[in-house]
Amino acid sequence: MTTYAFLLDLGRCIGCQACVAACKTGNELSPGVQYIHISEQTRGVFPALQSSIKNHRCYHCADAACVAVCPTGALYKEDGLTRLDASQCSGCAYCVDACPFNVPQLVNGRSNKCDGCAEVVKAGGQPWCVKTCPSNALMYGERETIMAEAHRRAEALRVRYPHAQVYGETQLGGLGVVMVLPDQPEQLDLPANPQIPAVLNTWQNVVQPASVGLLGFSLAFTGLAAIIARRNHKQEVAHLHVQNSAEETAAVQPDHANET
Amino acid sequence: MTTNASPTRKVLRYSVKPRLVHALLASSFLTLLLTGLTLLWSPLSPLAAGGLMRHLHYVGAVLFMAVPIVYLMVDRPAAKELLWDSFHYDRDDWTWLKHVYAYFLGHCEGMPPQGRLNAGQKLHHAGVVIFSASIVISGLVMWFGKGMLNANGLAVAAIIHNLSMLILTVLLIGHLYFTFVYDALAGMVQGYIPEAEARLEHAKWVESLPQKEPWLVEEN
Amino acid sequence: MARTKLQISRRNFLKSSLLSAAALSISSCSAQPLATVLNQNGLRLPWFRTGEIKTTYNYCDMCPWRCGIVVKSVDGQIYKVDGNPADPKSRGMLCARGQAGPSFVYDPDRLRAPMIRTGARGEGKFKEVTWAEALDYTAEKLKITGQAFGPEAVAVFGHTSGDFWFTDYFAQAWGTPNAAKPSSSLCTSPREEAAKLTYGLPIGGHEPVDWDAINCIVLIGSHIGEDARNTVMQDFANAWARGAKVIVVDPRFSNVAAKADYWLPIKPGTDTALLLAWLNVLINEERYDKAYVADWTTGLEALAAHVAPFTPEWAAEITDLPAESIRATARLMADNLPQAAIIPGRHVTWYGNDTQRMRAIYMINALLGAYGREGGIYFSKSPYIEAYPHPPFAVTGSSGGCSAEPGQESAELPLGPTGKARADGARTNFLRGATAMQELIPPMISGEPYPIKALIVYGVNLLNSIPNPQRTIEALKKLDFVLAVDVLPQEHVAWADVVFPEATALERYDELWVVAHKTPYIAMREPAIEPLYDTKPAWWMVRELGLRLGMEPYFRWETAEEYLDARLLSIGSSLDKMRQTNGVIVQQGKPYFEDFAGESPFPTASGKIELYSDELASAGFEPMPTYEPVAEPPAGYFRLLYGRHPVHTFAKTQNTPLLNELYPENELWLNEDEAGRQGITNGQYVWLENQDGARSGPIKVKATQRIRSDAVYMVHGFGQNAPELSRANGQGASDTKLQTTYALDPISGGAGMRVNFVRIVKEV
Repeated sequence: MTTYAFLLDLGRCIGCQACVAACKTGNELSPGVQYIHISEQTRGVFPALQSSIKNHRCYHCADAACVAVCPTGALYKEDGLTRLDASQCSGCAYCVDACPFNVPQLVNGRSNKCDGCAEVVKAGGQPWCVKTCPSNALMYGERETIMAEAHRRAEALRVRYPHAQVYGETQLGGLGVVMVLPDQPEQLDLPANPQIPAVLNTWQNVVQPASVGLLGFSLAFTGLAAIIARRNHKQEVAHLHVQNSAEETAAVQPDHANET
Repeated sequence: MTTNASPTRKVLRYSVKPRLVHALLASSFLTLLLTGLTLLWSPLSPLAAGGLMRHLHYVGAVLFMAVPIVYLMVDRPAAKELLWDSFHYDRDDWTWLKHVYAYFLGHCEGMPPQGRLNAGQKLHHAGVVIFSASIVISGLVMWFGKGMLNANGLAVAAIIHNLSMLILTVLLIGHLYFTFVYDALAGMVQGYIPEAEARLEHAKWVESLPQKEPWLVEEN
Repeated sequence: MARTKLQISRRNFLKSSLLSAAALSISSCSAQPLATVLNQNGLRLPWFRTGEIKTTYNYCDMCPWRCGIVVKSVDGQIYKVDGNPADPKSRGMLCARGQAGPSFVYDPDRLRAPMIRTGARGEGKFKEVTWAEALDYTAEKLKITGQAFGPEAVAVFGHTSGDFWFTDYFAQAWGTPNAAKPSSSLCTSPREEAAKLTYGLPIGGHEPVDWDAINCIVLIGSHIGEDARNTVMQDFANAWARGAKVIVVDPRFSNVAAKADYWLPIKPGTDTALLLAWLNVLINEERYDKAYVADWTTGLEALAAHVAPFTPEWAAEITDLPAESIRATARLMADNLPQAAIIPGRHVTWYGNDTQRMRAIYMINALLGAYGREGGIYFSKSPYIEAYPHPPFAVTGSSGGCSAEPGQESAELPLGPTGKARADGARTNFLRGATAMQELIPPMISGEPYPIKALIVYGVNLLNSIPNPQRTIEALKKLDFVLAVDVLPQEHVAWADVVFPEATALERYDELWVVAHKTPYIAMREPAIEPLYDTKPAWWMVRELGLRLGMEPYFRWETAEEYLDARLLSIGSSLDKMRQTNGVIVQQGKPYFEDFAGESPFPTASGKIELYSDELASAGFEPMPTYEPVAEPPAGYFRLLYGRHPVHTFAKTQNTPLLNELYPENELWLNEDEAGRQGITNGQYVWLENQDGARSGPIKVKATQRIRSDAVYMVHGFGQNAPELSRANGQGASDTKLQTTYALDPISGGAGMRVNFVRIVKEV
């Protein structure tokens, strides 16, 4: 199966926010909602400074925590990217809590995040951010091609930055946003080896099947049993009344006798 | 002879206060169950999107957590008794539990005599107490724990929360089952049940009741 | 019609907003169409699947760079603007501001109808009138002014891409030489005049840097990336990724400085000393393109003697930079010659000595052999197209500006119909160059050298771009008549007698965009939708005014399409034909020496690059640049520096909903250690007071290591006092309001604005 990926070259990115605006307009995002956040990262003391741009967005993890915890299936993997069908979303916010990068947000009570411009790409276009990036810091394509380009760029970047590297090849099963970093990930506020807690997988593997199975079994079993059990109980109660009235008849007569 | 029940005599199963507390528990629990279900089950998620169900869930949670407090406030002895009973089992209880399948299928005759709560009810209540505690704690963690806990912690809380609810729901199904089988609804709605049936299921308890109103009434 | 449409969309909007409380909260202040309110993610059809997409061609008006764009609309609603792949500037890409074009169109604060003032001037009280009333009234006022004082008494200030119609076409047909654009004397004049004095050619709107092959890029104060000119960002990123060396000279660690091989955190105001030292190293160490210099320059010996004392050690003292860095960077340039150049930059009116500084830059480029060489500075060429065949204008234009075709300024100052030349002091207060906008303010107040009585302001944010706005207000009070043409109720609009609401670039036809370039090209502008409200394009306004002012011969054309087709006919094209080539016509350029077949490409007196300028010497100026110290900040004060943010343009976009959201207020960059010394914390709001007691604020402090401790920095264009701008009003601080003084460049007439100092006021 072909999977797709973004390339995000943080060597080239100069922080112009063209991607942010293209994403907001192309995807008609509400005021206050952004799928991409650009911020500055500075290290060192004047004048020995280093700085890079943080480009915070959904990284489309292969082992996506949000997908693992989503109880309704609104979040799902497709073509290597993490899609969101908000019409299926209940707003439970488990994805908000689970994402190791703090990406999904609730908007109007539903989860909201980059879906890799699913509709645009299906219509044959490039994701809005990729199409507009003046620095050519963004690319979109088959993951293999993107990965090769990432390694090519990282290699070239090492002439300037000895620690330049590719990020996202293996992290979380491989990110759908493959990054070219000018420095070590820790320097750029990225976890070197992010982990999804194994416990997240119990949601879909344990909790959901257990719930469906146990509830289904309980309902079916008690439903059937109820018919039999209620009949039995009714018989016992009827029997009880017969007994009682017999005893009562026997007991009452002497009283009457006393009276008379 | 007083050991035998008259068909017109009824015993007070639940006084007004426990009935109200039960109503509060039932309504808050159902609110939580239904609103929770809209959050977890995709065919219902359109109802939940927008946050109304989420907020109703919070309201239900507050009411649910208030149940033990309300119970202790309005009928302290009854509340304490319920709690004590739920966790204390005598020889009859154990024998009863060994033959629970018979009770399950509607047979009371031949079962060991039971007190106010039969052993099954005790177990049920004990389960409700334990899993209510776990669902409340995990729920509070999910509600207020953001920022304090990492994704792992919150996920564990969610899983505990949902498994607790699963068990409580199974307990509810059993609860409804026995209510249906043993026609027990009247007791919780009106308070009185026929003495004969009470004697059948809770002989020791009926014996212990004072033989006067309001515990015992004649109805014609 | 347009208004009805808007109401419908507002009703839809309200309906949809009932779905959520969050959406409801914005309904009260917003005429935002439905489209921008809900999200996609499968909740509903994305805009591009809701109907037939209409594609129109345009050139962007969100900044003066003017990238070619493709505008996508559905059912009369603009949804998306993308870079036009056929356009040599955008190449299919676009910056954040361009993306916000539709947001600018649908800004609910827009001016909606023509208005005539009812209250006192500056009070902002107007009544809405019909276009006929507004035009009749304006024509009457202009006629009276023209009859009493001559047409020269009307000044026309224009900016943004419709400025041609008022500042060029109307002003010249009417007969006033007092037409000015801020892009000249408030921006690029020193750069243009220095270029013409040194190698005979202007820089032009599109800086002719041959990015494709450049190997050493030197930026002085240019903050590419924050200054988000699309093409430059593309070119820089590609050159950088290719491995080109980058030297950035900036008191601030800009985003591009972070990518540099050398960052020189120079002491502000001492750039010329650094440039002289670089010249010294290149010449002393004989690290220059000797053959090139011999063939194509004059005055090397004089220059060598001139710069001999200016050693790196001498400059190190002045610039606060290590001598070794100065030497190393000069050598780095030389190692890469001729694929090395100092980028001319754009806004260069800094200290009043700016033309001389720019000349020093061009001299270094000349020593590096950059001009006309691959990877250096190419020769840009204007595309061939005829002007519209109108009768000769009453006065020749000299407004210049980065949009003007190169070489418009003639040696002789053009005279108006009553024999008056420009009132800006050209030839007396400064030597040459395009009309200096800020120098037209004093005649409005003093009546010297002759009175200016009326002012037309087209798209210039008057009080947030010309330094000394207090003086500008004084002038506004004295004028007999002020016409403001704008899209938004900017601060100065409150001072107008008549307000013409303009249709935005995406709602109108406009003059062709004719770009001198490596590949000369022409781009077109056509409307994507009908103008909203009762707004009109500038071409319609000037035509209607012209017809009322007896200028019929200039307005034989009835529509913009007719005008444009007449021009395009001269190159065998038409609007329809242009649409078939994606709205752009690209022509052949002559970028390199080889294209000149042995003839000199330098139209100077000597036919060479003039390192020594006879022209300057004979006018009484230094023939070669010297370092003259600029005033230092008094104790307790910082030098006020300003610049750009990638999502904002000048003082134009602060209210645009999308861009306002991305950067709603500017910040005061203050050295972190200095902030600590003053007890100021990051994020704290402070006020600024300048050397003359002018105040602006409150502004949020960004305490950072990224700036020197002797200067503070803010993004230009904020701190506007315009109550009608619901988002921008009062946000942040205004650099312009803190620029109560400026240093006039005696050569180009540029207004050096970095001569103001501020102190931080913690409590007011």
